[in-house]
Amino acid sequence: MNTKTELQGKANRHLWMQAKGWADMTAAGEPMIIESANGISVTDIEGNTWLDVNGGYSSVNIGYGRKDMADIVKNQMLQLSYYPEQTTTFPNALLAEKLAEITPGTLSRVWPVSGGSEANEIAIRMARAYHVRRGDKGRYKIISRYGSYHGATSGVAWLGRPASLGLDQYEPGPLGMIYASQPNPYSCSFGGKSPSECAILCAQDIENLIIQNDPDTIAAIIGEPITSSLGAVVPGEQYWLIVREICDRYGILLIDDEVVCGFGRTGKMFGIEHFGVTPDIMTLAKGLGSSYVPIGAVIATTQIADAFAGKENIFYAALTAGGHPVSTASALANINIIEQEGLVEASAVKGRYFINRLNNLAVKHPIVGDVRGMGLLVAIELDSKFTIDDKELGDWLVNTFKDNGLLLRTLGSRVIQMSPPLCITEAEIDIIVDALDSTLTKLSSYLSKV
Amino acid sequence: MVFTLKACKYVIRRHILLETDLDHLIDRIFFMDTPAEIEHVRLKALNNLWMHNRDWTEMAESGGPHVITSGKGVRVTDSEGNSWIDVNAGYSCVNIGYGRPEIAQAVYEQINKTSFCPIGTTTETVIRLAEKLAELAPGDLNRVFFSTGGSEANETALKIAKAYHNRRGEPGRYRVISRKGSYHGMTGGVLWTGDGPAVHKADYGPAYPGMLHVPQPNPYRCEFGGETESECAILCAQAIEDTILFHGAETISAFIGEPIAIPQGAPVPSKEYWPMVRDICDRYGVIMIADEVVCGFGRTGKMFAMEHFNVVPDIMTVAKGIISAYLPMAGTIVSDRIADSFSGGDASLKHVLTNSGHPVSAAAALKNISIIEEENMVDNAKVVGGYFKNQLENMIMDHPYVGDVRGVGLFLAMELVSDRKTKAGFDTGIEIGVRLTKKFKSKGLIFRARENILHFGPPLCITREEVDEIVHAVDLGLWEFEGECGVGRFA
Repeated sequence: MNTKTELQGKANRHLWMQAKGWADMTAAGEPMIIESANGISVTDIEGNTWLDVNGGYSSVNIGYGRKDMADIVKNQMLQLSYYPEQTTTFPNALLAEKLAEITPGTLSRVWPVSGGSEANEIAIRMARAYHVRRGDKGRYKIISRYGSYHGATSGVAWLGRPASLGLDQYEPGPLGMIYASQPNPYSCSFGGKSPSECAILCAQDIENLIIQNDPDTIAAIIGEPITSSLGAVVPGEQYWLIVREICDRYGILLIDDEVVCGFGRTGKMFGIEHFGVTPDIMTLAKGLGSSYVPIGAVIATTQIADAFAGKENIFYAALTAGGHPVSTASALANINIIEQEGLVEASAVKGRYFINRLNNLAVKHPIVGDVRGMGLLVAIELDSKFTIDDKELGDWLVNTFKDNGLLLRTLGSRVIQMSPPLCITEAEIDIIVDALDSTLTKLSSYLSKV
Repeated sequence: MVFTLKACKYVIRRHILLETDLDHLIDRIFFMDTPAEIEHVRLKALNNLWMHNRDWTEMAESGGPHVITSGKGVRVTDSEGNSWIDVNAGYSCVNIGYGRPEIAQAVYEQINKTSFCPIGTTTETVIRLAEKLAELAPGDLNRVFFSTGGSEANETALKIAKAYHNRRGEPGRYRVISRKGSYHGMTGGVLWTGDGPAVHKADYGPAYPGMLHVPQPNPYRCEFGGETESECAILCAQAIEDTILFHGAETISAFIGEPIAIPQGAPVPSKEYWPMVRDICDRYGVIMIADEVVCGFGRTGKMFAMEHFNVVPDIMTVAKGIISAYLPMAGTIVSDRIADSFSGGDASLKHVLTNSGHPVSAAAALKNISIIEEENMVDNAKVVGGYFKNQLENMIMDHPYVGDVRGVGLFLAMELVSDRKTKAGFDTGIEIGVRLTKKFKSKGLIFRARENILHFGPPLCITREEVDEIVHAVDLGLWEFEGECGVGRFA
């Protein structure tokens, strides 16, 4: 038995991997075991190299294989691997300072966590607690947009009620979940004919929901600036401005989930900067540490944080791994690399090139219904008039991409979102687009057969 | 290997400064030694950092926060160069002790191979760790879902329990039974298991539907008035069955509990409790989840605390000691019987966390477990823990306020009472927690008194001499406190 077979056998015997069963993996000769990685490429245990078009979980922003990250992590761990409760460390304080500096407006106080789910859990709790501190105790409902994803733990899984989590089987969910329509110009729930029209109608929908559900019971609205769970859905430019204004009018907090969009992913440091809006609370993960080690954070405005100042107002919550000094040191180094190497600007420039090439692809392949995105969060959506069983199509696409050297997952079956490391080159984008091109050509002949 | 600041600086400069401009940053992280630099960091922490469970205005007035710069074994050193014993090893999590260069080396090697991996793939370190956990965990606990912390591990366990019933055609099982005086995490579902302080509930309400609570089998304060440990255990176990029957077994998904609970200070249930709970769960088709987040990896003198009771749960959750907090890491270990329902197709579990199965954390956890095994730390927890408990028990004679000493291994607690007969606590105005914490600090301990309960959860590498230091400081702190309150020998 070779190492690969041995390890795959053990994985399928003992490891519960995400979203795929071990019987299926065994049948498919999976899981793939990664041995090394560099830039946007990963190499498996047999020496085959692939382009990781999803950049981990849209998370490896600076790219794989940075030796300087290994050095920072090692040295911080040698210096101090953890710390006693109620004390702190240099890297924690310095990361807080750095995040306060680079986030917009008065966002200034950082509550560190170890992932996006935890960040959004804390953000929601903070929003509810903020209203409690102000004596406005009835506010607990949260408005999210249908189809969005904000995490897998019980408090946040129901936000957006994403199809990918199969929530039907976990009923009943938490109380106070309100769902607004997704401002998706490609398939606007309200029939908006332009991105602007869709944005205005969807923002108006939020106000209607607030009025219907009693404004005094609503704590917060949460959303990603650009919705990643549905494939880089960019709302019309009015959307966030109107939502911000509505929040202010009804005393509702705006939580900006930058878990995917943050740290250059969309061509700005934070996705919300495209829309000129400052949220009350912002959540961060993924690109904050480029997945070298787990880390996330919540950052609140001075106004929100001030409600928790003083012994009587403490925000009681603790996570063992929240504010881990090795994680915060690696995040500092990661942000430093993003800044020093101009990766935010690179994301904008490479993203434009990527979108242009995808638009050309859409001209050539009528099955491409939409091309969208900003920076290096881009997606194509296949036209729904080409009918085929969804599961079959999704599997076929993933396997065909793999035959072409790409590790690329679909969202559902018709949306292909690409979020490579920000250090990607034009030549690498060409490889991806060429592989998509040949896949779409094959898809046409595949569809004519089924 | 002693890694001094100077050596650290030298290594980093040599390896990376020529290639990238992390120079300034590295100086700031590792080499702030002038008073002005330290003051800068302190101010930034006050202005920009939201420390868990802390308030920055009070901290500013008291000259805080306390900034820690290095650690070794059971001790940490702060930015002023003072050394302290960290009595609770972080949050009872640094099981192997601070400053083990082997972990840093394992992490370094893994990052240099691959720091992360694409969706649907994994690495050898993750597979080896899953295999290792299956080997260590009792019975048929053979399948591991990884996450980054205890809250996520327990959330995952509750999710698996519900989804399991769903797959077996029992979608109506959604309620979860937990014990008052337990803690299982702070995310939206698990926050409502156990019972944290009321302020948590006010801040994050309304409660998650379907959360039921039964009494803690705490022999010192049995809610049912059980007069012996056994009686308390039996009454508390019986209450679980009553709760199941009252709500209907067809609505109950899972029971979750720590083998020995944390918030009430290590109340060890009598030996009858867990076998009865196991039997009740089996009888009514309820999934039994053992939360070993604190108790696991040697803390109680066994690898897992449920081993003290010879009971195998259906799902076991681990965190903290699995990696001694060198990085974030946790796991939900599931029995084959449960896991078999999720093996493929539409039955697969739809549950995704970016950092599930992080290759770097896995490398650190593997090395951590091998250190625990090779250095017999589980045995050390048992032996030195026995000595520690003995020393604490000796204080009962001298200190009128010591009501109870309990726990097992290096998971120990002392409960202070103002009256031993009535077991009455202390008026909040006395601020016993704040005052004792200050006294202990003045004697070289970082040791937070949680009101009237003192929790002891040091690294498992602790020596008898270090135990003596802790006991001596606690002894003195209590003398002073009792003296101020007008009781005890020096009153």
